[in-house]
Amino acid sequence: MLETLGNLGLGFSVALAPPILFYAFVGCVVGTLVGVLPGVGPLAGISLLLPATFGLDATRAIVMLAGIYYGAMYGGSTTSILMRIPGEAASVMTCIDGYAMARKGRGGAALAIAAVGSYVAGTASVVGLMLLAPPLAAFALRFGPPEYLALLLLGLFVLAYMSSGSMLKSLAMASLGLLLGMVGIDQMSGYFRFAYGLVELGDGLGVVPVAVGLFGVAEILTTAGQATPPHVVRPRLRELLPSRSEWRESAAPIGRGTVLGFLIGILPGSAHIIASFVSYAVEKRLSKRPEQFGQGAVAGLAGPESANNSATSGAMVPMLALGVPSGPIPAVMLAAMMVHGVSPGPLLIQQQPELFWGFVASMYVGNVVLLILNLPLVGVFVNILRVPYPYLYPTILVFSMLGVYGVNGSVVDVWIMLVMGMLGWVLRKLDFETAPVVLGLVLAPMIELSLRQSLAMSDGHYGIFVYRPIAAVLLGAGLLLVLLNLISFARRGLDWRARLALAEKGEETS
Amino acid sequence: MTAHRLVAIVVALALAWPLAATAQEPYPSRPITVVAPFPPGGVADLTARPVAAAMEKVLKSPVAVVNKTGAAGAVGMQFVATSKPDGYTLLLALSSISIIPEADKIFDRQPAFTVDQFVPIALISADPTILVVRAESPWKTAGEFIDDARKRPGQISYSSSGIYGTLHMAMELLSHAAGIKLRHVPHAGAGPALTAILGGHVDALASGPAVVLPHIKSGKLRALAGWGDKRVAALPEIPTFKELGYSDAEFYIWAGLFAPRGTPEPVLARLREATRAAVAEPEFKSAMDKLQTPIAFKQGQEFQTFFDADARRLAEGVRKVGRVEDKK
Repeated sequence: MLETLGNLGLGFSVALAPPILFYAFVGCVVGTLVGVLPGVGPLAGISLLLPATFGLDATRAIVMLAGIYYGAMYGGSTTSILMRIPGEAASVMTCIDGYAMARKGRGGAALAIAAVGSYVAGTASVVGLMLLAPPLAAFALRFGPPEYLALLLLGLFVLAYMSSGSMLKSLAMASLGLLLGMVGIDQMSGYFRFAYGLVELGDGLGVVPVAVGLFGVAEILTTAGQATPPHVVRPRLRELLPSRSEWRESAAPIGRGTVLGFLIGILPGSAHIIASFVSYAVEKRLSKRPEQFGQGAVAGLAGPESANNSATSGAMVPMLALGVPSGPIPAVMLAAMMVHGVSPGPLLIQQQPELFWGFVASMYVGNVVLLILNLPLVGVFVNILRVPYPYLYPTILVFSMLGVYGVNGSVVDVWIMLVMGMLGWVLRKLDFETAPVVLGLVLAPMIELSLRQSLAMSDGHYGIFVYRPIAAVLLGAGLLLVLLNLISFARRGLDWRARLALAEKGEETS
Repeated sequence: MTAHRLVAIVVALALAWPLAATAQEPYPSRPITVVAPFPPGGVADLTARPVAAAMEKVLKSPVAVVNKTGAAGAVGMQFVATSKPDGYTLLLALSSISIIPEADKIFDRQPAFTVDQFVPIALISADPTILVVRAESPWKTAGEFIDDARKRPGQISYSSSGIYGTLHMAMELLSHAAGIKLRHVPHAGAGPALTAILGGHVDALASGPAVVLPHIKSGKLRALAGWGDKRVAALPEIPTFKELGYSDAEFYIWAGLFAPRGTPEPVLARLREATRAAVAEPEFKSAMDKLQTPIAFKQGQEFQTFFDADARRLAEGVRKVGRVEDKK
């Protein structure tokens, strides 16, 4: 412990040196911008700016790239809350209750809670990173394909158990998402599936164009289709800050979201979007008033926003402790280290203590910077809501197209976004939730790959899921959940979900 | 600034773009684009950037790297194959340029591009893969590994960067040279493939040396042999498969510069000259040094010979793998 404090002292002496501080600040600002722009997520931001760091020394480059990474997670919430456009994929869940809050005139409060939740999650998860990195990383490596499949299935069961409204509709949407996730090169055989001769579809449908289409474009179309524009609740200045009861409601979800996000972030190959989905589901289940979810529940905003932020620190655990990438973003950061002649690996902490501890300390500093940066901006951003729809929406549409095009420079992506926008509009007219579609799209390739990898490992024997203890425990928990669900379903014809759906119906017709 | 004005600026910039194109001027008279068909941070990108920077100095004209990614590189390669052969759009390709069209043939699909659509300019680097196993595994030498694989066909598993990917092809070439059968577990990229062996989920991996060296040094992995013509400089005690008598097990992760076929000869000559000067630049050398990637400059007939031999080995490798589900 004492040693850790000493090391952290060394780290802060590095991180607070003016040049490092400057690059951390630049990273945070750029990250916030990247997160705010619809469609441009942290991966695109880091990838685009990686070449710009080639001229810097290793510590500065890493500190700046990390700033972009977690800065984007902060910024991603802004457009989700104000305009229902996910700034990056992991903000999809923020769109639901955050936007509902903004509609009710609590946009400022929602932005403030998102910023504070992100800060708490960011800071607490760095403590986790600092104290637990080596043992946690070693544990995370034990997650091979079978464990990963078991975890994903457990996640799916949890979500099905907790989805709101009609279970049939949720499952239908999740299935649609899973089907969309089948597009692209089959990783195991090399077949192109459903690509219709378009090489661009080889990588499947991107999560970003689909999410921006289903949420943002669909929202714009729905509003445009109304005879009278919806009444905009103009935020009043003194209502910018969350009320005492809103703070109280957000405290526990922030805590839970932080822990969940960190643990999910550590696992190799997992996506931040999963952390925010699971957090949303957990909050809904634990809530005393689950019917408020989707109508502007504070917990439904605070939990997922915290989860996607702490997942960023979690993702850095295997990267720093072992030198293995836990996802595409850490992979780019590892490449940045190699460009600077730092060889990432298990010996990094011993061989380059200034880099490791300076990096950790810079994350504490960066989170403070982001909080200071984001809270005053709340007052600026909510003014977007004052812009009349006829000007605001076409502008948003243009920015969404630019953002989605900019990431891969692919016109195909823009078309995907537009088609998904139309689909989202139809689905909303028919009262379908679109979040499960995005989740299905994300999970389908992961579930498929891990299932087939597991079977490749075992030469086709399904026993592999039972003989490996972690996988067996996770699958057992999933089965238990399904059983519980069935029992409660059999006992009462109407479970809480159906009652909830009825309550929601009543509210909409009134 | 209002959002409107921003939009106006973006539109104005977009409209001004194509004005730059004019012909009949000494080459290069405008910026050159080098397409890296893989995302930033990958081997192609990390090689392309120092090459572009050094060429910029030599040609005294901007050389920009553009990442055009997708479908394991096919999107970017197809883009260059079909772009105007004027020397302003070049491709930094890896070994997979020879693999993708072969894989397309196996599936009877319209190939995204063919190798004949390119002219080679220069080979920049060539990194032989090395065979690593976990430190606690029983095999101390490549000989023990191959003997055991012969005794237990299909039992020893390895991870790869993906089906028909470079790391897969390396193992396949070894399997055929040594007459063994290993169990293939494809992963979505070289990073996850490394994670899989470190986590003990597979037994072996073929990998570029730079990525696994830290794990060899820290005692987690053991190197058994290399696919190169010569031993890897950082691991002088590790033999090559050639030395061990498997002369067909030769494989490199190489990076080379290509132009679309039909590019005028004077332009190609200028580009060859520029790359030759570029790889001699000290900045370029130090950049490649940091990446621990050996420079292997070849051009003209020498590159063509290397390229043809490599393409022949890979094509044969892909054909021997065939369609995965056709087996058994």
